[in-house]
Amino acid sequence: MKILVCIKQVPDMESKFKIDSDSKWYETADLVWRMNEYDEYGVEQAVQLKEQQGDSDVTVLCIGSDRVKETMKKALAMGCDRGVHVVDDAIFAKSPQEIASIIADFSKDKSFDCIFTGMQSQDRGSGQVGVLLAEMLNLPSVTTIVDFSYDDGITKVKRELEGGIKALVSVKGPAVFTCQLGLNTPRYPTLPNIMKAKKKELLSVPVADLLHVESNQETAEIFFPEKKSGGLILEGEPADLADELLKILKEKTTVLS
Amino acid sequence: MNFELTEEQSLIRNMVREFAEEEVAPTAAIRDEEERFDRALMFDKLGELGLTGIVFPEEYGGAGADYISYAIAVEELSRVCASTGVTLSAHHSLCANPIFLFGTEEQKQHYLTPLATGEKMGAFGLTEPSAGSDAGGTKTTAVEDGDEWILNGTKIFITNGGEAETYVVLARTDKNAEKHHGISAFIIEKGSPGFSFGKKEKKMGIRSSPTMELVFENCRIPKSNMLGEEGHGFKVAMKTLDGGRIGIAAQALGIAQGAFDIAVDYAKERQQFNMAIARFQGVQFQLADMATQIEASRLLIYSAAYKASNGISYSNASAMAKLMASETAMKVTTQAVQILGGYGYTRDFPVERMMRDAKITEIYEGTSEIQRIVIGAGLTR
Repeated sequence: MKILVCIKQVPDMESKFKIDSDSKWYETADLVWRMNEYDEYGVEQAVQLKEQQGDSDVTVLCIGSDRVKETMKKALAMGCDRGVHVVDDAIFAKSPQEIASIIADFSKDKSFDCIFTGMQSQDRGSGQVGVLLAEMLNLPSVTTIVDFSYDDGITKVKRELEGGIKALVSVKGPAVFTCQLGLNTPRYPTLPNIMKAKKKELLSVPVADLLHVESNQETAEIFFPEKKSGGLILEGEPADLADELLKILKEKTTVLS
Repeated sequence: MNFELTEEQSLIRNMVREFAEEEVAPTAAIRDEEERFDRALMFDKLGELGLTGIVFPEEYGGAGADYISYAIAVEELSRVCASTGVTLSAHHSLCANPIFLFGTEEQKQHYLTPLATGEKMGAFGLTEPSAGSDAGGTKTTAVEDGDEWILNGTKIFITNGGEAETYVVLARTDKNAEKHHGISAFIIEKGSPGFSFGKKEKKMGIRSSPTMELVFENCRIPKSNMLGEEGHGFKVAMKTLDGGRIGIAAQALGIAQGAFDIAVDYAKERQQFNMAIARFQGVQFQLADMATQIEASRLLIYSAAYKASNGISYSNASAMAKLMASETAMKVTTQAVQILGGYGYTRDFPVERMMRDAKITEIYEGTSEIQRIVIGAGLTR
């Protein structure tokens, strides 16, 4: 079985973000980088599928500067067999359509049986790359999966819907799946596997070799939302404060009605 | 010269940090409170992650990584739980390493492999009631009897004692030899006839790490369990401690880094006189000193670890690293408690535990005084 998993390197979400000078993206200096959380579920699912099927091959693909190689090594240490690094120092400026088309161009003649992506990235968060990729490859796609099973060419997945409802979807043949929190618990890359990862194939491909479309959208500006006015601070004696709070709750909210 | 971690070292740091924060940290306070060793978490899981044999070759079940990776692993575990850090350090440096360095091929296959894979846990028995810093004062004896050695004596303050399956123990094989001559090293398995455990120590810090007495009463072990040559036990012990000091230095560094991280976060949040206390220069000066000492310790440790991995003599380097890091741990944790004030003194915040944990790093595997003796002797030889 041939499996592809697409990952993105994103900053640790606890970082302090600053907007860059031309307001197109955030400043990337001094950030700590890691694998996009939803992509980790994809890597784990890909490796589990390989372990279940045996005689399978998992390719991990990542677009970005040389810095993303460390994140790719983590995916290799988790059990992916080979890596494809699409070298692009300006990935942040690419639209979801461009990114999907890069991956589609790489995948078009590879006959992958199963493709995993995260349901969205933690920084851009467009949630479009997986579905666009499926469309470009003329494959079915199932989004936000929280459960996955495969047997004899039939994939059964559970999708998360709103309001706590889940849907069971079955797909025949090759498809793209976008992974959501709850799908699995990603394994730690063990030390021996970290050491072995450096011997695995990591192919570099210049982005120009795979990108043949022009962007159909552009991010004009990124900004922090304006701060809303501060909360209401009550001062005084506790008994008076309680009366005042009660009055506000009765007049301005429905919690006591 | 390159001060950057390699990709592997960086991946190892991230992996151990993630594991430490998600799985070890949540129970660190309660294990300390209950003086409870959790083997499944503090040792078996480390084995599954491949951390129980970091520097040993793959042929003996190790990961074939370098000493810097080992230091990073102990540092990251100790950053959230010093007891878990020392469990790994004692197992790896004090038991598995002397078997790797001095064992016969057969001993390595039989004893090192299960230690490196984490199937078995290791400990080291050197200290005795009357032989602490002065290892030459060893009174435990080993007498040859046919195909066996018979050991008699008591070892105290043994980290991983009682829990470990494999022990490297020093005993006197020649009563007539002077001081540190006439001492030999042995590999002793838990369950050997005449080998039992005495009292469990009640300690100030690292309370979730078991510290036990080993008791040998006509303990019989096969003759083939001597480690290294007869009468060369002192050399085995000293070489073992050279490596052990990197582990304890890394443990001290982790404790210091953990306390520092908490102190910085707290100083940025804590409001007094209508501003965060981190804005006071007095607090900033303290944080500056703490960060500088931590970074200096880290560089000394990585430098000693680099030497250890590259066949360069590192006895003095590891003594300097351990001296600097352990004294830094004590200073930094004390300052962290000060920055957190009354809250820092309570068990609601981990810096109180870290300050108690830090003290032992100035004592075990050679006190700060012994480190100065080692460094001084090296300089004036």
